[in-house]
Amino acid sequence: MAPRTVAPFGPQHPVLPEPIQLKITYEDEKVVNVVPALGYGHRGIEKACEINDYPKNIHLCERICGICSCIHGISYCEVVERLWPMEIPPRAKYLRTIWSEMSRTHSHLLWLGLLADALGFESMFMQFWRIREKVLDLLEMTTGTRVTHSVSVVGGVRRDINDEQKKICIRTLQEVRKEAEALINVLATDPTVKARTVGKGVLTKEQAIMLGNNGPHLRASGVKEDCRMEGMQAYGELGFEPIVETDGDCYARTLVRARETLQAIDLQLEAFSKMPEGEIYVRPKGSPPANEAVFRSEQPRGECFYYAKGNGTRNLERLRVRTPTFANIPSLLVMLPGSELADVPVIVLSIDPCISCTER
Amino acid sequence: MPVMLPTVIRNLFGGPATRMYPVQVREPFEGARGHIEFNDDNCILCGNCARQCPAAAIEINKEKNELVFYPARCIICFVCAEACKKDAVIAANKWRTPYYTKPVEVHVAKGKKEKAKKE
Repeated sequence: MAPRTVAPFGPQHPVLPEPIQLKITYEDEKVVNVVPALGYGHRGIEKACEINDYPKNIHLCERICGICSCIHGISYCEVVERLWPMEIPPRAKYLRTIWSEMSRTHSHLLWLGLLADALGFESMFMQFWRIREKVLDLLEMTTGTRVTHSVSVVGGVRRDINDEQKKICIRTLQEVRKEAEALINVLATDPTVKARTVGKGVLTKEQAIMLGNNGPHLRASGVKEDCRMEGMQAYGELGFEPIVETDGDCYARTLVRARETLQAIDLQLEAFSKMPEGEIYVRPKGSPPANEAVFRSEQPRGECFYYAKGNGTRNLERLRVRTPTFANIPSLLVMLPGSELADVPVIVLSIDPCISCTER
Repeated sequence: MPVMLPTVIRNLFGGPATRMYPVQVREPFEGARGHIEFNDDNCILCGNCARQCPAAAIEINKEKNELVFYPARCIICFVCAEACKKDAVIAANKWRTPYYTKPVEVHVAKGKKEKAKKE
């Protein structure tokens, strides 16, 4: 038997922008065992949400994560609206959908770039981030900022998209779709990319369900599961169908995210064409009543679960957030043992880890 | 790699995608959230902005007739600009430049007399 070595992967590692440690035991070049260590990024946001007034928490929840900040803010507003429960105007629902899908587009383009970077495909990384910049510009134009949009409030949204902005959005999104399609075609057919991803980190359908995975990671293993299927916001009227691949390896996860990028752009274009006119905000009546509510939203990384408990005052009694990466980390313990040490960065990246979400 | 050839050719003749940043600065979008400014002439120290600020960046001192603003705490959400009914908080779309020491802005409210007359 070859001698065993234990090496730390992280908390500082080039493929990880955020701190998570994986203690990897390996024999020669084969990984034998993995022990993850979490908790480097804990900020106590859930507790802080109990101290603040409920409208102020929107800005706090948006800061759980930089990439999915828009959907975190929207999810918080949705769960607090369910405490009354109150109905928001249809145009606000469409606007929330458009901004959610816009942030999904930029998140997936970012991930595709990061994957190319992890494989050493630097030019592809730059190309993906170049077209992502256009989506960020659209977000800045419509919401006011590039990252923390603060655009959703309890009872609707703060900003409207006017006709001129709508035209620019549609034109830019069509451009982005065309360019992304060409790049995705390169990424999906490139022999080097295939050599590094096909058959690496395989997770079967049964394992994925047993480990409670979610999001694109689960859909790449052949499970048709997506929170948007429930038809929240405007998804019910947009004819949404989840994208599913069956192989369950890194290549399948890349394809799912690549196709979801294009699908997100299509959903935005459809939402723009169907968006009704009207109000964008209704004022909530008083403080959130003593009640409990849950809301499940589909973030770029998977299912995000929000639970809120009100007590009749302006503060919430409890807010609980379960983020997608927390459910996807256990799959690393199945995927990594048996793989080559050189494949570890790609496999870790293939779950699209977001540690600041996980630890809050 | 023939599949990537159109992208390569476009990049070869397309010029750079980046700008020479400190020299060439992109104009912010019209509705972009840059920073906030205070119009002391309109401020009546009602405290709407300070109550709604999620970052506690604004403090009201009624005894001294002052509004104290901490720009380093501000998260540029513009809740104050929407809450102000007197147009005393101005939403500007240009970013603040970085600073070495955390500034503290003290604004003396001059709009109070007008309000007293109305009452």
